[in-house]
Amino acid sequence: MNRDADVIVIGGGIIGCSAAYYLSKLGKRVLVLEREDITRGSAGATDGVVGYHTKKPGHQMDLAVQSIAMFENLSEELGMDIEYGLRCGGMQPVEDKMQWDILSEIVEEQRKSGVDIHMISIEEARQIEPQLAPDLYGALYSPTGGKVNPIRMTIAYFRAAKRLGAEFLTETEVTGILKEGSCVLGVQTDKGEYRADAVVNACGSWAAFTARMAGIEMPIKPRKGQLIVTEPIGPFMDCTLQCARYNVIKFRPETIKDPAVLKMGASLSIEQTESGGLIIGSTRELVGYDRENTLEAIETILKRAVRFFPALKDVCFIRAFAGLRPYTPDGLPIIGRVDALEGFYMAAGHEGDGIALAPVTGKLLAEQIVYGKESYSLEPFSPNRFL
Amino acid sequence: MEDVIICRCQEVTRQEIIDAIADGATTVDGVKRRTRAGMGLCQGKTCERLVARIIAEQTGRPMSEILPPKSRIPVRPVKIGIIGGEQDE
Repeated sequence: MNRDADVIVIGGGIIGCSAAYYLSKLGKRVLVLEREDITRGSAGATDGVVGYHTKKPGHQMDLAVQSIAMFENLSEELGMDIEYGLRCGGMQPVEDKMQWDILSEIVEEQRKSGVDIHMISIEEARQIEPQLAPDLYGALYSPTGGKVNPIRMTIAYFRAAKRLGAEFLTETEVTGILKEGSCVLGVQTDKGEYRADAVVNACGSWAAFTARMAGIEMPIKPRKGQLIVTEPIGPFMDCTLQCARYNVIKFRPETIKDPAVLKMGASLSIEQTESGGLIIGSTRELVGYDRENTLEAIETILKRAVRFFPALKDVCFIRAFAGLRPYTPDGLPIIGRVDALEGFYMAAGHEGDGIALAPVTGKLLAEQIVYGKESYSLEPFSPNRFL
Repeated sequence: MEDVIICRCQEVTRQEIIDAIADGATTVDGVKRRTRAGMGLCQGKTCERLVARIIAEQTGRPMSEILPPKSRIPVRPVKIGIIGGEQDE
């Protein structure tokens, strides 16, 4: 059969570019099809938290531990500075005893994966981040978490994959999946047909559409996150910081009583980037594919920011933006082969953890495709759990 | 000529923009993500059309087909305190 590549990767975001790189590294001829441009979707509309403390205890945390270890040498490996702040630390200040108790309980679970996460007093927290408001209750602290520039990281994977021979076709939209019986043959696009032995669906929040083209239902929904960026300022903070509500909304939504908070899912997430600007977010809204900003959300986020960092009230914000995080019902990403369709693989559904989990996702998926078996089991993330 | 600064906020040169186009950028946004041109204090108000013109010149596409970046609030830098107030809730 006439083939255009060994593996076709659909989607030029952080997951698709990572998969393309690790597949190329294992000697596969890779073709990436992207309907717009590299890093045009969610990878380019997010912050760069690479932390342990925002991960769900258990399988997701174990996967994060492996992924974050890969960040240490990633700039050198990819040959481009991805602005990785190694061990800048992650912090979640809490406002009251109830949040303290909920976070303490989650921390105990998270520590089972062998990571250093612990609770500290507000005095200790303010020694680490002196700009923090003094009237807080305490904080969760994870000293070894990092932060990265997600756009540069995606571009670094893209360029490194290209150097290894991967081909990227942008402005090329996949319109169908070519099959014969229960075997995938390739894809149909608006520019013609492309054939390969394996097809990877790395379409993030749009992955359910692509899966449906192959006759597979994947429960991935877009969840909007709104953020703002400030003007560049001098050194303000080192940690990536979320208010405790971030983890409470993520892991214990049933404890939130205010319906407005739950609907918007608004909590503070803040970090200072290498260029000096602060990225401040974020919301978690199930509102379809809308990527507009709302004044209501921005007001909520900025109020949170001033509550935790009073000095920010005199800093200007210069832009609002929004990205769609691919939500799954069980909060775990969907990675690996689809048993019902030979040659079809999923790599999507990472919600807000796509940047942090991208290295290990690409690496293990490439191993599964090339060797038939990955070095660390992807079983808990298998798409077959939904089929 | 190629070392002329096109985006003054982020100090991006004409050569860097030409390199981004060679890297696959076909829109102002594609150049922005690769070079940071337009990500600074003025949010591309000065360089946006200059970048679009360089894309047109390098790719041979007409100016009218070069997609501008998405407009987002605020139009001008706004102090966080004006919207975020002094205190939460």
